Amino acid sequence: MSAVNSLQESSTFPDTVHFIDGGTQGIYLLDFIESADAVIVFDALIPLNYDRRVYVYRNNELPDFIHRKMSSHQMGFSEMLGIAKLHGKMPKKIVMIGAPPKDLELNIGLSPELALLLPEAVEQARAIINTWLSE
Amino acid sequence: MAKKIVVDPIPRIEGHLRIEAKLNDSNVIEDAYSSGTMWRGIEVILKGRDPRDAWAFTERICGVCTTVHALASVRCVEDALGIDIPVNARIIRNLMNATQVTQDHLVHFYHLHALDWVDVVSALKADPKQASVIAQSISAWPKSSPGYFKDLQQRLVGFVESGQLGIFSNGYWGHAAYKLPPEVNLIAVAHYLEALDFQKEIVKIHTIFGGKNPHPNYLVGGMACAIDPNKDTAINIERLSMIKKIIDDTNTFIDQVYIPDLIAIAGYYKGWLHGGGLGNYLSYGDFPETSLADFKTLLWPRGAILNKDLKTVIDVDPRDASQVTEEVSHSWYTYEKGDSKGLHPWQGETTPKYTGPKPPFEHLDTDKKYSWLKTPRWKNHPMEVGPLARVLIAYAKGDPMIKETVGLVLSKLEVGPEALFSTLGRTAARGIECKQTAGFMRHYYDQLVANIKTGDYRTFNSDRWDPATWPAECKGFGYTEAPRGSLGHWIHIKDQKIKEYQIVVPSTWNASPRDANGNSGAYEAALKGTPMINPEQPLEILRTVHSFDPCLACASHLFDMNGNEITTVKIV
Repeated sequence: MSAVNSLQESSTFPDTVHFIDGGTQGIYLLDFIESADAVIVFDALIPLNYDRRVYVYRNNELPDFIHRKMSSHQMGFSEMLGIAKLHGKMPKKIVMIGAPPKDLELNIGLSPELALLLPEAVEQARAIINTWLSE
Repeated sequence: MAKKIVVDPIPRIEGHLRIEAKLNDSNVIEDAYSSGTMWRGIEVILKGRDPRDAWAFTERICGVCTTVHALASVRCVEDALGIDIPVNARIIRNLMNATQVTQDHLVHFYHLHALDWVDVVSALKADPKQASVIAQSISAWPKSSPGYFKDLQQRLVGFVESGQLGIFSNGYWGHAAYKLPPEVNLIAVAHYLEALDFQKEIVKIHTIFGGKNPHPNYLVGGMACAIDPNKDTAINIERLSMIKKIIDDTNTFIDQVYIPDLIAIAGYYKGWLHGGGLGNYLSYGDFPETSLADFKTLLWPRGAILNKDLKTVIDVDPRDASQVTEEVSHSWYTYEKGDSKGLHPWQGETTPKYTGPKPPFEHLDTDKKYSWLKTPRWKNHPMEVGPLARVLIAYAKGDPMIKETVGLVLSKLEVGPEALFSTLGRTAARGIECKQTAGFMRHYYDQLVANIKTGDYRTFNSDRWDPATWPAECKGFGYTEAPRGSLGHWIHIKDQKIKEYQIVVPSTWNASPRDANGNSGAYEAALKGTPMINPEQPLEILRTVHSFDPCLACASHLFDMNGNEITTVKIV
């Protein structure tokens, strides 16, 4: 959310670029994924023991699964990708930018460690979007 | 020696629902324990904040039924401050709520629950021509040609062959508890995909009225959308006709896809009537035709049923300190005056105190505290909430639409009303209710158009927006019937800030741990007595737990790059 806000505040993109705060949503995000030509997602990543830096994953590097789960609330982003694929409506380009979280305690905002990584994540996204727009 | 099955969510950092079930020597569940493995804590976040902002925080409790907490929240603040909302705001809220329930039930049935009854791999063996004959015999839904099913089957084969079943690799396919013929499985898989595609349309109603989605905007005092038939920026004729089309399509989809599927699938499982459980049912009621306080006008009636007695519906008052209470004798919280004494939410406390084992652990000590969920009780009774509770209460009160639809489903299945007290009954009730709320969408659309035609465009009452107009101290109660059941928000406002806020959510009723008297919660009771074909693959447990449509802390979702499983099953 911090990354989307930061990118949006400094945006000079045309209005074909949409910013969405996905919140805690699962299936509501399906339409945004399926209707887009290209998607960038910011998220916290696991495994938690990865080095704390910014990771960028593209297209087939992202896992898609329909999990066995206890409730609809466990529907994660990989499942959205699985459904979009089954529907034959995957965006042509999809990129995930993220980092493993430092602190999962009850709080609002980023931990100082993650806040340090925020500018890099935002600049990576800006560069990717600019490349897409120029294609 | 007796076996124990543990179904546990991973990663633990996300936290969710854990079930421990004890089996006897014949693999029948003797006892079960339900544990919420993560703390929600939103009550603590809300303290000291502006009550007019509370809805925006509570809305994010849930990633599935996003609007319900916003609705209960604005209602509790309006109750505390004595605010009447304009007619349009009431109608729009009802329409958004009916939209939420309809969409949620549809997604629940196809996405979460269908695969408890439908074997995806068996669908690969189906004869598409035969599937077409069956589909056309049960519904007028046009997507039913042999070619349609053949194409779908080939697509599925492609996915399954792309490595280990590809995206469906985590199912219990081929389990002996699956009873559908391959052709019915194929039809159901087709509709699984169609439903997930179609549901995206339904929630556009939330975007139109709420300004955005996910997390549409609510407002204390009304709704944050302007109505003007002649303005581009407001709810106008064009937007209303878009809404009308979505409502019509939704009704068609439910009548021609959901209900026929439900009846077709249930027909093969009507011998499996496990999972009834408590037999106690509670509903606060919802869908006010006038003011919320006048609960006699609610289209979903308020009431309680005890011991499956459909002849008696008991009155319910959630403001009464002796009726709705929460205790923490088996929950990881502590109360100032003793954990076993139930507190009404206006006197409620939220002080976490974890005394469970350090994760990862094999067992919870279920004799002591074992859940992050508190234990809500109604007049000391454990209660089931949700679609089955609402349908039974409406049925017992003689609601004509519910009586007719329940009667139709029962006669098609050739079973009596006692079959409703089961997992399958819960699943059928959700479908019946979905048909009803799709009808409510039409009803509220018509009400809205009629009211706009009178020239009334008001959506917001600003009389008490300014905190200077508020009393120094006040309390309020806001309720709604969320898709999963009775939801209550209780607020205590002092000096224009939130002093205390307590939320009792539907799944806390259903998934609660034992109370101080040793009474099981609804999940725990429903699992008892269920025979398991293969404890290593506890499909029967998932089926019954899923039939309640669990809603625990959504918390922070993380993206797992390894695509690991999110639920483990262990036999210990």
